[in-house]
Amino acid sequence: MTRRLSSSLSSSIGKKALMSVTGLLLIGFLVVHLAGNLTLFSDDTGEHFDAYSTKLMSFGPLLTLAEIGLAVLFVVHLALGLRVTFENRAARAQRYALERDRGSRSFASSTMLVTGCLVLVFVVVHLLDFRFRERASDGLAAMVVRRLSEPAGVLIYLVGVTALGIHLSHAFRSALQTLGLNDTRFDRPLVRLGRVLAIGLGVGFALFPLILFSGARKHTQAAAQAPAPVEVPADVPAVEEAQR
Amino acid sequence: MSSDHAAHAPSSAPNAPHALRFVLHVWRQKNAQSTGEFATFHLDDVSPDMSFLEMLDVLNERLIAAGDDPIAFDHDCREGICGACSLTINGQPHGFERETTTCQTHMRRFEDGATLYIEPFRANAFPIVKDLVVDRSAFDRIIAAGGFVSARTGSAPDANALPVPKGDADRAMDAAACIGCGACVASCKNASAMLFVSAKVAHLSLLPQGQAERGRRVLSMVERMDAEGFGNCTNESECEAACPKGISVANIARLNREYLRALATES
Repeated sequence: MTRRLSSSLSSSIGKKALMSVTGLLLIGFLVVHLAGNLTLFSDDTGEHFDAYSTKLMSFGPLLTLAEIGLAVLFVVHLALGLRVTFENRAARAQRYALERDRGSRSFASSTMLVTGCLVLVFVVVHLLDFRFRERASDGLAAMVVRRLSEPAGVLIYLVGVTALGIHLSHAFRSALQTLGLNDTRFDRPLVRLGRVLAIGLGVGFALFPLILFSGARKHTQAAAQAPAPVEVPADVPAVEEAQR
Repeated sequence: MSSDHAAHAPSSAPNAPHALRFVLHVWRQKNAQSTGEFATFHLDDVSPDMSFLEMLDVLNERLIAAGDDPIAFDHDCREGICGACSLTINGQPHGFERETTTCQTHMRRFEDGATLYIEPFRANAFPIVKDLVVDRSAFDRIIAAGGFVSARTGSAPDANALPVPKGDADRAMDAAACIGCGACVASCKNASAMLFVSAKVAHLSLLPQGQAERGRRVLSMVERMDAEGFGNCTNESECEAACPKGISVANIARLNREYLRALATES
């Protein structure tokens, strides 16, 4: 039984089913992550966002457990993606002289490995930016605002979320097909949900670099002026004045 | 053989005024071990009424008359129902016409003066035998692994003695339209055989006669498919677009469903 299950999970359909499940769980994480991040815009001072992050950190070992779980999902998804991609390339040693697509092959579907790797690089940068860096004395919100006020930061974050959006535009539908949920009564509502998720997550995460860089939020400008370890000067309004 | 032929004479085309001209780049390969290359042929008097295979027949007759080796290609019924033709025209299995086999494709459908690249189906699981002929016995071995009903079904039963819902009967019939030509593998960028296997699994799993071996069948057929060296499905539906019988990728969703179900229920 166990031998059969493990060998079946490493079959072509088994691998894709595992990729689908891990991918869908990661999408679930992204929804929660976006919802939490949006607290950054719920007040002008970033207090809500800081309170949210402090609360998360207070879970201690539970948080670590969740992070390990996420890392496992990510690694399994990535490893299977690489394996499937290389197996697929190897299945046709001699290519056609002319190649014509006429199915639903798209930019997104043919670049899943590339967008997936871009997301990986982005996640590493993102973790180094905010997870594995000492918390600044003026809070996480201020760190986020400072990072996303730099041109380099904005560029990295926009490329990251764009790659994610493109990846998701093929991913969700593909996962449904792999799990056999297409062509069932769940088909239409799930396809709609997929579109909402891909666009919602892509645009949702893109809001942060776009809004913070454009300086549309008040606390943006204030925090952007303050270098990381130094206390925010008491005369923040004066700084704002000076900027105008 | 030399790579450039001018196969003009002897021309006896009765409808010469409407004759079409083509430049053909045809894949020539002696056997599975040798490396192939394109040979170029100029045809100046192709009748618009010829099928694609008849055009190749005419070219072959000229090659034979000139003492050259004719181009090997697979064909049998020439009615679009046997699935023997196995070549790609400009990178598309069975050419550009939707739901049409190579043998049913006519030369009038191509632009006069067009350059056509004619290649065999390319996949490691379909090794080249010679020129445009590939060995598709991997499909036979997948069928032998479970694509059958071993229960004795007797003679034809009375109508409605075995109740089959109309929707299931239609879906099973649509799946059974698969002629096993391998265009799905040839068109898939991963050389995956999922559309073929899914058509066979869907066909049998939808009907009462297929129930007894339902779980075992899908596990065995997928296991065989993987062992033959086909790639994995990435859900890009190139197979559906290339299929001369219009087999839908909805069957692949059903195959996945059947497989996961069997994984959970088969001991």
